[in-house]
Amino acid sequence: MPSFAFNGKTIETDDEGYLQILDNWNKEIAEYLAKEEGITLTEKHWELIEWVRDYFFKFQVAPAIKSLIKEVGKLENLPDKKEANKFIYELFPEGPAKQLAKIAGLPKPTGCV
Amino acid sequence: MPDVSGTKRITDVGPHDYHDFLHPVIKNNYGKWKYHEILSPAHMVHVSEAGDKIYSVRVGSPRLVSGFFIRDLCDLADKYTGGYLRFTTRNNVEFLLDKEENIEPLMNDIKKLNLPLGGIGNVVANIVHTQGWIHCHTAASDASGVTKALMDDLYEYYIDAKLPAKVRIAFACCLNMCGAVHCSDIAVLGIHRRPPKLVPDKIINLCEIPSTIASCPTNAIRPDTYNGKPNVKLIEEACVFCGNCFTVCSGMPISDPLNDGVSIWVGGKVSNARTKPSFSKLAVPYLENDPPRWPKVVEAVKTILDAYKNGAEKGERVGEWIERIGWPKFFNITGFKFTKYHIDDFRLGEATMNYSAQVRQ
Repeated sequence: MPSFAFNGKTIETDDEGYLQILDNWNKEIAEYLAKEEGITLTEKHWELIEWVRDYFFKFQVAPAIKSLIKEVGKLENLPDKKEANKFIYELFPEGPAKQLAKIAGLPKPTGCV
Repeated sequence: MPDVSGTKRITDVGPHDYHDFLHPVIKNNYGKWKYHEILSPAHMVHVSEAGDKIYSVRVGSPRLVSGFFIRDLCDLADKYTGGYLRFTTRNNVEFLLDKEENIEPLMNDIKKLNLPLGGIGNVVANIVHTQGWIHCHTAASDASGVTKALMDDLYEYYIDAKLPAKVRIAFACCLNMCGAVHCSDIAVLGIHRRPPKLVPDKIINLCEIPSTIASCPTNAIRPDTYNGKPNVKLIEEACVFCGNCFTVCSGMPISDPLNDGVSIWVGGKVSNARTKPSFSKLAVPYLENDPPRWPKVVEAVKTILDAYKNGAEKGERVGEWIERIGWPKFFNITGFKFTKYHIDDFRLGEATMNYSAQVRQ
């Protein structure tokens, strides 16, 4: 199983880089995972990461892309769905739901993006 | 590689328009064809209303191919066909030529590469198969291994048209079926026979609980708690061993080296020539996995094919032949046992039009 060393601890991931154990996640690891993805985390990223973690521990499922876009619309005051979609793709260019779940340390979502 | 740094990646553009890749003769005569003629099991000609002719030379491919193999094919295409070739739905390669004099040298070069020429007309077509152990996580059997063993044995029927009608063989390594086993003359289908084994620690860490529950077609997966955390439980009697849950949740492995195996189905077809299209029906409920050559599967398929070859009238597909002689006689001739597994007792069958006390149709 692939893994990486972090602060003297071995963190296991799957082949695509998703954490194998939920409790291993912390903010430093999120920074590290984001760097691996080529993303520098900003305030906006953190807002979404915290929201998606809250959502997961409430419902045990990563949010559908539709509700993610809705939330972004609310947070960023973007009433137009297309604008919100564009905004979130700028934050997570390789597919928002998957990259967001990966950086937030959640299981790989079953959806497509 | 071209330097793409600094440029923005464009995605979501969709596939390229296929008209750009058509052979000029096909492009000029699109939708205006008069007739086609099978010249040999390896090549045929299509003639257009304007009198243009296009020849196809068909070659078998193993479906999972290497880059070297593709390069060999492309070299041949560059040399003889102006670069035009296509892959058929059953993984054959077809070279498209407008010059008749190129057919002979092309075939000679193909023979030099030891590739099989054939697959047109009343033959056993190339087997369409799924990923198997090479790639798939739900596979109950290997795909390319069984296919290779089968095709080695049926090679004579591929290169030579010796059968009453065409016979399509398909292989799918699980019942979710990337292969066309529901409607092939002879179909080999990998089956699981035990429910998935739950690994609660993995399920907590790796799975979305609601998606896992929703993935089950028979509602056999129910919510549960484990060490105070949300988890799932499985009602084993309701499980139909489909493996959908393992696709969304890697904490529920279904593969079982002891109990997985294959089943054989017969009599499906897609065409509506003579009789309406039909689904395949169960012939052999279970044969164990027996790598690397699967002798029992090969023997069973050979039995069906021989019985069909000896019994069918010209132009009759496997399904039509069995319907004519009757299913009891089919089991008599082939020597397969009729078991309880041949009776359709699916408990959710009452919700479909398929529910009856009849033998599985």
